Amino acid sequence: MEGRPLDELALVERARTGDVNAYEALVQQYQQLAYRVAYQVTRDAADAEDAAQEAFVNAYYALGRFRPGAPFKPWLCRIVANEAHNRRMAAYRRTALADRAQRAQASGEAAPSPEAAAEADEFRATLVETLGRLRDDDRLILSYRLFFDFSEADMAQALKVPKGTVKSRLSRALTRLRAALPADFQLASGGTVDG
Amino acid sequence: MADPRWLTDIELERALRELGPRYPYPPTPNLAAAVRRRIVARPMAPVRRLALWRDPRRLALAAAVVLVLAGAAALINPTTRDAIAHFFHVPGVIVSRVSPVPSLSPVTPLNLGRRTTMADAQSAVSFTIAVPSSLGTPDAIYVDTEVPGGEVALAYAPRPGIPLVKQTELGVLITEFRGDLVPGFLTKEAGPSTTLEETSVNGDPGWWVAGEPHLVITRIGDTDYPVTLRMAANTLIWEHGGVTYRIESGLSRADAFRIAAGLP
Repeated sequence: MEGRPLDELALVERARTGDVNAYEALVQQYQQLAYRVAYQVTRDAADAEDAAQEAFVNAYYALGRFRPGAPFKPWLCRIVANEAHNRRMAAYRRTALADRAQRAQASGEAAPSPEAAAEADEFRATLVETLGRLRDDDRLILSYRLFFDFSEADMAQALKVPKGTVKSRLSRALTRLRAALPADFQLASGGTVDG
Repeated sequence: MADPRWLTDIELERALRELGPRYPYPPTPNLAAAVRRRIVARPMAPVRRLALWRDPRRLALAAAVVLVLAGAAALINPTTRDAIAHFFHVPGVIVSRVSPVPSLSPVTPLNLGRRTTMADAQSAVSFTIAVPSSLGTPDAIYVDTEVPGGEVALAYAPRPGIPLVKQTELGVLITEFRGDLVPGFLTKEAGPSTTLEETSVNGDPGWWVAGEPHLVITRIGDTDYPVTLRMAANTLIWEHGGVTYRIESGLSRADAFRIAAGLP
Protein backbone atom coordinates (compact mmCIF):
# COMPACT_ATOMS: atom_id res chain seq x y z
CA MET A 1 0.00 0.00 0.00
CA GLU A 2 2.94 2.31 0.64
CA GLY A 3 5.70 3.39 -1.69
CA ARG A 4 9.33 3.71 -0.78
CA PRO A 5 9.85 6.45 1.80
CA LEU A 6 12.21 8.40 -0.46
CA ASP A 7 9.61 8.42 -3.20
CA GLU A 8 7.02 9.59 -0.75
CA LEU A 9 9.21 12.35 0.66
CA ALA A 10 9.87 13.62 -2.84
CA LEU A 11 6.21 13.47 -3.79
CA VAL A 12 5.15 15.34 -0.66
CA GLU A 13 7.79 18.01 -1.22
CA ARG A 14 6.72 18.45 -4.84
CA ALA A 15 3.05 18.54 -3.85
CA ARG A 16 3.83 21.21 -1.25
CA THR A 17 4.93 23.48 -4.05
CA GLY A 18 1.64 22.95 -5.87
CA ASP A 19 2.67 20.07 -8.16
CA VAL A 20 -0.70 18.51 -8.92
CA ASN A 21 0.81 15.44 -10.60
CA ALA A 22 2.85 14.65 -7.51
CA TYR A 23 -0.21 14.98 -5.30
CA GLU A 24 -2.25 12.79 -7.62
CA ALA A 25 0.42 10.12 -7.25
CA LEU A 26 0.10 10.40 -3.48
CA VAL A 27 -3.67 10.07 -3.74
CA GLN A 28 -3.30 6.94 -5.84
CA GLN A 29 -0.83 5.56 -3.34
CA TYR A 30 -3.05 6.17 -0.32
CA GLN A 31 -6.59 6.10 -1.64
CA GLN A 32 -7.25 2.52 -0.61
CA LEU A 33 -5.99 3.12 2.92
CA ALA A 34 -7.86 6.43 3.18
CA TYR A 35 -11.09 4.88 1.92
CA ARG A 36 -10.82 1.95 4.31
CA VAL A 37 -10.05 4.17 7.28
CA ALA A 38 -13.07 6.29 6.36
CA TYR A 39 -15.21 3.16 5.98
CA GLN A 40 -14.19 1.93 9.42
CA VAL A 41 -15.62 5.15 10.82
CA THR A 42 -18.68 5.73 8.64
CA ARG A 43 -19.71 2.09 7.93
CA ASP A 44 -21.24 3.45 4.77
CA ALA A 45 -19.67 3.18 1.31
CA ALA A 46 -20.92 6.53 -0.04
CA ASP A 47 -20.05 8.46 3.12
CA ALA A 48 -16.60 6.85 3.16
CA GLU A 49 -15.97 7.87 -0.45
CA ASP A 50 -17.11 11.45 0.22
CA ALA A 51 -15.04 11.66 3.39
CA ALA A 52 -11.88 10.29 1.75
CA GLN A 53 -12.21 12.60 -1.23
CA GLU A 54 -12.86 15.64 0.97
CA ALA A 55 -9.91 14.70 3.18
CA PHE A 56 -7.54 14.47 0.22
CA VAL A 57 -8.65 17.90 -0.98
CA ASN A 58 -8.33 19.40 2.51
CA ALA A 59 -4.94 17.80 3.01
CA TYR A 60 -3.71 19.31 -0.26
CA TYR A 61 -4.57 22.83 0.86
CA ALA A 62 -3.10 22.11 4.30
CA LEU A 63 0.25 20.96 2.89
CA GLY A 64 1.68 24.40 3.59
CA ARG A 65 1.39 23.57 7.27
CA PHE A 66 2.78 20.06 6.93
CA ARG A 67 6.20 19.74 8.50
CA PRO A 68 8.73 18.74 5.82
CA GLY A 69 10.04 15.24 6.41
CA ALA A 70 7.17 14.25 8.73
CA PRO A 71 5.35 11.00 7.90
CA PHE A 72 2.51 11.68 5.50
CA LYS A 73 0.39 8.60 6.23
CA PRO A 74 -0.66 9.31 9.83
CA TRP A 75 -1.16 13.01 9.05
CA LEU A 76 -3.45 12.10 6.17
CA CYS A 77 -5.30 9.46 8.19
CA ARG A 78 -6.01 11.95 10.92
CA ILE A 79 -7.69 14.27 8.42
CA VAL A 80 -9.55 11.32 6.86
CA ALA A 81 -10.81 10.09 10.23
CA ASN A 82 -11.92 13.59 11.22
CA GLU A 83 -13.82 14.05 8.00
CA ALA A 84 -15.35 10.56 8.27
CA HIS A 85 -16.36 11.19 11.85
CA ASN A 86 -18.04 14.37 10.71
CA ARG A 87 -20.01 12.47 8.05
CA ARG A 88 -21.03 9.88 10.59
CA MET A 89 -22.24 12.51 13.03
CA ALA A 90 -24.10 14.34 10.28
CA ALA A 91 -25.72 11.07 9.22
CA TYR A 92 -26.86 10.39 12.76
CA ARG A 93 -28.30 13.87 13.01
CA ARG A 94 -30.28 13.27 9.83
CA THR A 95 -31.53 9.83 10.69
CA ALA A 96 -32.54 8.16 13.89
CA LEU A 97 -30.16 5.43 14.90
CA ALA A 98 -32.70 2.66 14.61
CA ASP A 99 -33.88 3.78 11.18
CA ARG A 100 -30.33 3.91 9.98
CA ALA A 101 -29.51 0.46 11.25
CA GLN A 102 -32.63 -0.86 9.53
CA ARG A 103 -31.63 0.81 6.26
CA ALA A 104 -28.14 -0.57 6.55
CA GLN A 105 -29.50 -4.07 6.99
CA ALA A 106 -31.84 -3.67 4.03
CA SER A 107 -29.16 -2.30 1.72
CA GLY A 108 -26.63 -4.91 2.73
CA GLU A 109 -24.26 -2.45 4.38
CA ALA A 110 -24.19 -4.49 7.54
CA ALA A 111 -22.20 -7.62 8.01
CA PRO A 112 -23.53 -10.70 6.24
CA SER A 113 -25.84 -12.87 8.27
CA PRO A 114 -23.92 -15.55 10.15
CA GLU A 115 -26.63 -18.07 9.29
CA ALA A 116 -26.12 -17.46 5.59
CA ALA A 117 -22.39 -17.82 5.71
CA ALA A 118 -20.13 -20.82 5.79
CA GLU A 119 -18.75 -21.72 9.20
CA ALA A 120 -15.41 -20.04 8.56
CA ASP A 121 -17.22 -16.94 7.39
CA GLU A 122 -19.48 -17.02 10.42
CA PHE A 123 -16.52 -16.35 12.64
CA ARG A 124 -15.47 -13.39 10.52
CA ALA A 125 -19.02 -12.10 10.22
CA THR A 126 -19.39 -12.17 13.98
CA LEU A 127 -16.17 -10.24 14.43
CA VAL A 128 -17.16 -7.69 11.78
CA GLU A 129 -20.59 -7.25 13.31
CA THR A 130 -19.16 -6.89 16.80
CA LEU A 131 -16.54 -4.38 15.63
CA GLY A 132 -19.37 -2.41 14.08
CA ARG A 133 -20.97 -2.00 17.49
CA LEU A 134 -17.80 -0.62 19.10
CA ARG A 135 -17.09 3.05 19.64
CA ASP A 136 -15.55 4.74 16.61
CA ASP A 137 -12.26 5.40 18.38
CA ASP A 138 -11.97 1.76 19.49
CA ARG A 139 -12.66 0.48 15.98
CA LEU A 140 -10.19 2.98 14.57
CA ILE A 141 -7.30 2.06 16.87
CA LEU A 142 -7.89 -1.67 16.33
CA SER A 143 -7.98 -1.08 12.57
CA TYR A 144 -4.83 1.01 12.53
CA ARG A 145 -2.90 -1.60 14.46
CA LEU A 146 -4.31 -4.92 13.32
CA PHE A 147 -5.75 -4.25 9.87
CA PHE A 148 -3.43 -1.55 8.54
CA ASP A 149 -0.33 -2.49 10.53
CA PHE A 150 0.51 1.02 11.75
CA SER A 151 3.51 1.45 14.03
CA GLU A 152 2.82 2.81 17.50
CA ALA A 153 4.35 6.13 16.45
CA ASP A 154 2.06 6.36 13.43
CA MET A 155 -0.96 5.43 15.56
CA ALA A 156 -0.08 8.10 18.09
CA GLN A 157 0.15 10.70 15.36
CA ALA A 158 -2.98 9.56 13.54
CA LEU A 159 -5.01 9.52 16.76
CA LYS A 160 -3.31 12.59 18.25
CA VAL A 161 -2.52 10.86 21.51
CA PRO A 162 0.81 10.60 23.32
CA LYS A 163 2.85 7.62 22.15
CA GLY A 164 2.86 6.25 25.68
CA THR A 165 -0.92 5.88 25.78
CA VAL A 166 -1.32 3.96 22.51
CA LYS A 167 -0.80 0.56 24.16
CA SER A 168 -3.26 1.23 26.95
CA ARG A 169 -5.88 2.51 24.52
CA LEU A 170 -5.40 -0.54 22.33
CA SER A 171 -5.77 -2.78 25.35
CA ARG A 172 -8.96 -1.01 26.42
CA ALA A 173 -10.36 -1.38 22.89
CA LEU A 174 -9.62 -5.12 22.97
CA THR A 175 -11.30 -5.38 26.36
CA ARG A 176 -14.43 -3.70 25.05
CA LEU A 177 -14.38 -5.90 21.92
CA ARG A 178 -14.12 -8.98 24.12
CA ALA A 179 -17.06 -7.83 26.23
CA ALA A 180 -19.14 -7.17 23.13
CA LEU A 181 -18.60 -10.60 21.55
CA PRO A 182 -21.51 -13.05 21.74
CA ALA A 183 -21.30 -15.64 24.48
CA ASP A 184 -20.85 -18.53 22.03
CA PHE A 185 -18.08 -16.91 20.00
CA GLN A 186 -15.50 -19.44 18.81
CA LEU A 187 -12.07 -18.82 17.36
CA ALA A 188 -11.71 -19.53 13.64
CA SER A 189 -9.13 -22.21 14.25
CA GLY A 190 -11.89 -24.28 15.83
CA GLY A 191 -10.38 -23.91 19.25
CA THR A 192 -13.15 -23.27 21.70
CA VAL A 193 -12.24 -21.44 24.82
CA ASP A 194 -14.16 -22.95 27.67
CA GLY A 195 -15.28 -20.69 30.39
CA MET B 1 -20.08 -23.39 26.06
CA ALA B 2 -17.41 -20.99 24.74
CA ASP B 3 -17.02 -17.75 26.56
CA PRO B 4 -15.21 -14.87 24.86
CA ARG B 5 -14.37 -13.39 28.24
CA TRP B 6 -11.57 -15.94 28.42
CA LEU B 7 -9.97 -14.97 25.12
CA THR B 8 -6.58 -13.41 25.68
CA ASP B 9 -5.47 -10.19 24.01
CA ILE B 10 -3.06 -12.25 21.91
CA GLU B 11 -5.84 -14.55 20.69
CA LEU B 12 -8.08 -11.63 19.90
CA GLU B 13 -5.29 -9.77 18.10
CA ARG B 14 -4.53 -12.87 16.06
CA ALA B 15 -8.19 -13.25 15.14
CA LEU B 16 -8.33 -9.61 14.03
CA ARG B 17 -5.09 -9.85 12.06
CA GLU B 18 -6.54 -12.84 10.22
CA LEU B 19 -9.73 -10.91 9.59
CA GLY B 20 -7.89 -7.85 8.19
CA PRO B 21 -7.20 -9.06 4.63
CA ARG B 22 -10.71 -10.56 4.38
CA TYR B 23 -12.59 -7.61 5.85
CA PRO B 24 -15.64 -7.00 3.62
CA TYR B 25 -14.79 -3.50 2.40
CA PRO B 26 -16.64 -2.18 -0.61
CA PRO B 27 -14.34 -1.79 -3.62
CA THR B 28 -12.10 1.28 -3.30
CA PRO B 29 -13.37 3.99 -5.64
CA ASN B 30 -10.91 5.89 -7.82
CA LEU B 31 -10.54 9.10 -5.85
CA ALA B 32 -7.51 10.47 -7.67
CA ALA B 33 -9.40 11.83 -10.68
CA ALA B 34 -12.01 13.66 -8.62
CA VAL B 35 -9.39 15.06 -6.25
CA ARG B 36 -7.29 16.23 -9.20
CA ARG B 37 -10.27 18.01 -10.78
CA ARG B 38 -10.97 19.85 -7.55
CA ILE B 39 -7.44 20.97 -6.78
CA VAL B 40 -6.76 22.01 -10.36
CA ALA B 41 -9.88 24.17 -10.23
CA ARG B 42 -8.58 25.97 -7.14
CA PRO B 43 -4.79 26.19 -7.25
CA MET B 44 -2.87 26.23 -4.02
CA ALA B 45 -1.87 29.71 -2.92
CA PRO B 46 0.92 30.42 -0.50
CA VAL B 47 -0.22 31.61 2.90
CA ARG B 48 0.33 35.32 3.12
CA ARG B 49 0.74 36.96 6.51
CA LEU B 50 -1.68 39.76 7.17
CA ALA B 51 -0.30 43.07 6.17
CA LEU B 52 0.74 45.02 9.09
CA TRP B 53 2.90 46.95 6.80
CA ARG B 54 0.63 49.94 6.74
CA ASP B 55 1.86 50.93 10.17
CA PRO B 56 5.54 52.00 10.17
CA ARG B 57 6.04 50.95 13.79
CA ARG B 58 4.77 47.50 13.00
CA LEU B 59 6.90 47.34 9.92
CA ALA B 60 9.98 48.05 12.02
CA LEU B 61 9.00 45.43 14.55
CA ALA B 62 8.22 42.87 11.89
CA ALA B 63 11.51 43.59 10.17
CA ALA B 64 13.31 43.00 13.45
CA VAL B 65 11.49 39.72 13.91
CA VAL B 66 12.35 38.60 10.41
CA LEU B 67 15.99 39.56 10.86
CA VAL B 68 16.31 37.73 14.14
CA LEU B 69 14.61 34.64 12.86
CA ALA B 70 16.51 34.49 9.62
CA GLY B 71 14.19 35.21 6.84
CA ALA B 72 11.91 32.97 4.94
CA ALA B 73 12.07 30.04 7.34
CA ALA B 74 10.43 32.33 9.83
CA LEU B 75 7.14 32.13 8.01
CA ILE B 76 7.08 28.36 8.22
CA ASN B 77 8.30 27.79 11.75
CA PRO B 78 5.33 27.64 14.16
CA THR B 79 7.30 29.43 16.87
CA THR B 80 7.86 32.34 14.58
CA ARG B 81 4.26 32.35 13.56
CA ASP B 82 3.46 32.83 17.17
CA ALA B 83 5.83 35.75 17.43
CA ILE B 84 3.93 37.33 14.59
CA ALA B 85 0.61 36.40 16.19
CA HIS B 86 1.61 38.14 19.37
CA PHE B 87 2.41 41.07 17.24
CA PHE B 88 -1.23 40.88 16.29
CA HIS B 89 -2.06 41.25 19.95
CA VAL B 90 -4.23 38.22 20.55
CA PRO B 91 -2.17 35.52 22.25
CA GLY B 92 -2.68 32.01 20.97
CA VAL B 93 -4.22 33.25 17.72
CA ILE B 94 -2.77 33.50 14.23
CA VAL B 95 -4.79 35.28 11.59
CA SER B 96 -3.88 34.95 7.93
CA ARG B 97 -5.30 36.11 4.65
CA VAL B 98 -5.27 33.32 2.06
CA SER B 99 -6.53 33.02 -1.45
CA PRO B 100 -8.38 30.90 -2.16
CA VAL B 101 -9.57 29.69 1.21
CA PRO B 102 -9.69 25.87 1.33
CA SER B 103 -13.13 24.39 0.93
CA LEU B 104 -14.42 22.17 3.69
CA SER B 105 -17.80 20.61 4.16
CA PRO B 106 -20.09 23.02 6.06
CA VAL B 107 -20.31 20.82 9.13
CA THR B 108 -17.09 19.38 10.46
CA PRO B 109 -16.45 18.12 13.98
CA LEU B 110 -16.27 20.89 16.53
CA ASN B 111 -14.06 18.75 18.79
CA LEU B 112 -14.98 20.75 21.84
CA GLY B 113 -13.94 18.09 24.31
CA ARG B 114 -16.27 16.32 26.69
CA ARG B 115 -19.69 17.61 27.66
CA THR B 116 -19.87 18.43 31.33
CA THR B 117 -21.25 20.69 34.03
CA MET B 118 -20.13 24.20 34.78
CA ALA B 119 -18.71 23.10 38.13
CA ASP B 120 -16.68 20.33 36.56
CA ALA B 121 -15.49 22.58 33.75
CA GLN B 122 -14.41 25.21 36.25
CA SER B 123 -12.42 22.67 38.23
CA ALA B 124 -10.70 21.48 35.05
CA VAL B 125 -9.44 24.81 33.70
CA SER B 126 -6.88 27.23 35.08
CA PHE B 127 -8.90 30.42 34.68
CA THR B 128 -12.27 31.71 35.81
CA ILE B 129 -14.92 30.80 33.27
CA ALA B 130 -16.94 33.81 32.21
CA VAL B 131 -20.56 33.51 31.09
CA PRO B 132 -22.04 36.44 29.14
CA SER B 133 -24.88 38.00 31.08
CA SER B 134 -26.91 38.68 27.95
CA LEU B 135 -27.09 35.00 27.00
CA GLY B 136 -27.42 33.46 30.45
CA THR B 137 -26.82 29.81 31.26
CA PRO B 138 -25.40 27.86 28.29
CA ASP B 139 -27.41 25.01 26.79
CA ALA B 140 -24.30 22.85 26.88
CA ILE B 141 -20.83 23.14 28.35
CA TYR B 142 -17.75 21.34 27.07
CA VAL B 143 -14.25 21.17 28.44
CA ASP B 144 -11.07 20.05 26.71
CA THR B 145 -8.27 19.29 29.13
CA GLU B 146 -5.79 18.38 26.39
CA VAL B 147 -5.35 22.09 25.80
CA PRO B 148 -2.78 23.46 28.29
CA GLY B 149 -4.71 25.37 30.93
CA GLY B 150 -7.91 23.85 29.56
CA GLU B 151 -10.42 25.12 27.04
CA VAL B 152 -14.06 25.60 27.82
CA ALA B 153 -16.86 25.92 25.26
CA LEU B 154 -20.27 27.38 26.02
CA ALA B 155 -22.90 26.36 23.48
CA TYR B 156 -26.18 28.19 22.98
CA ALA B 157 -28.97 26.84 20.81
CA PRO B 158 -30.61 29.12 18.23
CA ARG B 159 -33.48 31.21 19.57
CA PRO B 160 -35.46 34.25 18.45
CA GLY B 161 -32.88 36.86 17.56
CA ILE B 162 -30.06 34.30 17.42
CA PRO B 163 -29.97 32.48 14.07
CA LEU B 164 -28.75 28.96 13.47
CA VAL B 165 -25.14 28.77 12.28
CA LYS B 166 -24.81 25.88 9.87
CA GLN B 167 -21.09 25.45 10.55
CA THR B 168 -21.70 24.74 14.23
CA GLU B 169 -25.40 23.80 14.23
CA LEU B 170 -25.62 26.19 17.16
CA GLY B 171 -26.77 29.75 17.75
CA VAL B 172 -23.72 31.02 19.59
CA LEU B 173 -20.51 29.24 20.49
CA ILE B 174 -18.16 30.83 23.00
CA THR B 175 -14.75 29.37 23.69
CA GLU B 176 -12.28 30.44 26.34
CA PHE B 177 -8.69 29.27 26.70
CA ARG B 178 -5.33 30.40 28.05
CA GLY B 179 -3.90 31.96 24.91
CA ASP B 180 -0.76 32.80 26.84
CA LEU B 181 -0.09 29.09 27.49
CA VAL B 182 -0.81 27.75 24.01
CA PRO B 183 0.91 29.91 21.42
CA GLY B 184 -0.30 29.08 17.96
CA PHE B 185 -3.27 27.12 19.29
CA LEU B 186 -5.79 28.71 16.98
CA THR B 187 -5.21 29.71 13.37
CA LYS B 188 -7.75 31.57 11.30
CA GLU B 189 -7.45 31.72 7.53
CA ALA B 190 -9.72 34.12 5.74
CA GLY B 191 -10.38 34.32 2.04
CA PRO B 192 -10.84 37.48 0.00
CA SER B 193 -14.57 37.67 0.76
CA THR B 194 -14.11 37.59 4.52
CA THR B 195 -13.84 40.81 6.48
CA LEU B 196 -10.84 40.99 8.80
CA GLU B 197 -10.99 43.92 11.16
CA GLU B 198 -8.52 44.67 13.89
CA THR B 199 -10.58 45.99 16.73
CA SER B 200 -10.77 46.65 20.44
CA VAL B 201 -13.05 44.63 22.72
CA ASN B 202 -13.67 46.00 26.20
CA GLY B 203 -10.42 47.92 25.77
CA ASP B 204 -8.41 44.85 24.77
CA PRO B 205 -7.07 44.14 21.29
CA GLY B 206 -9.08 41.74 19.17
CA TRP B 207 -10.31 40.70 15.75
CA TRP B 208 -13.69 40.78 14.06
CA VAL B 209 -13.78 38.15 11.31
CA ALA B 210 -17.01 38.16 9.36
CA GLY B 211 -18.72 37.56 6.06
CA GLU B 212 -17.72 34.51 4.06
CA PRO B 213 -16.94 31.62 6.46
CA HIS B 214 -13.28 31.32 7.30
CA LEU B 215 -11.10 28.33 8.09
CA VAL B 216 -10.27 27.68 11.72
CA ILE B 217 -7.56 25.27 12.76
CA THR B 218 -6.63 24.38 16.29
CA ARG B 219 -3.35 22.70 17.07
CA ILE B 220 -1.66 21.84 20.35
CA GLY B 221 2.09 22.14 20.54
CA ASP B 222 4.55 22.02 17.71
CA THR B 223 2.69 19.53 15.59
CA ASP B 224 1.31 19.21 12.10
CA TYR B 225 -1.76 17.42 13.28
CA PRO B 226 -4.74 19.69 13.71
CA VAL B 227 -7.23 19.01 16.48
CA THR B 228 -9.87 20.89 14.57
CA LEU B 229 -10.08 21.86 10.95
CA ARG B 230 -13.38 23.46 10.08
CA MET B 231 -15.16 26.45 8.59
CA ALA B 232 -16.32 29.09 11.04
CA ALA B 233 -18.93 31.84 10.94
CA ASN B 234 -18.67 35.45 12.17
CA THR B 235 -16.21 35.57 15.02
CA LEU B 236 -15.17 38.15 17.57
CA ILE B 237 -11.95 37.21 19.31
CA TRP B 238 -9.90 39.00 21.93
CA GLU B 239 -7.69 38.46 24.94
CA HIS B 240 -7.96 39.70 28.47
CA GLY B 241 -5.78 38.74 31.42
CA GLY B 242 -4.15 35.83 29.60
CA VAL B 243 -7.49 34.32 28.56
CA THR B 244 -8.51 34.41 24.92
CA TYR B 245 -12.25 34.70 24.33
CA ARG B 246 -13.98 33.79 21.10
CA ILE B 247 -17.62 34.35 20.14
CA GLU B 248 -18.80 32.59 16.96
CA SER B 249 -22.31 33.24 15.68
CA GLY B 250 -24.36 34.44 12.75
CA LEU B 251 -24.91 37.73 14.54
CA SER B 252 -23.91 41.19 13.38
CA ARG B 253 -20.85 43.00 14.63
CA ALA B 254 -22.96 45.13 16.97
CA ASP B 255 -24.74 42.10 18.45
CA ALA B 256 -21.46 40.24 18.92
CA PHE B 257 -20.03 43.24 20.76
CA ARG B 258 -23.14 43.34 22.95
CA ILE B 259 -22.44 39.75 24.03
CA ALA B 260 -18.76 40.57 24.54
CA ALA B 261 -19.73 43.43 26.83
CA GLY B 262 -20.86 40.83 29.35
CA LEU B 263 -17.46 39.13 29.31
CA PRO B 264 -14.09 40.32 30.64
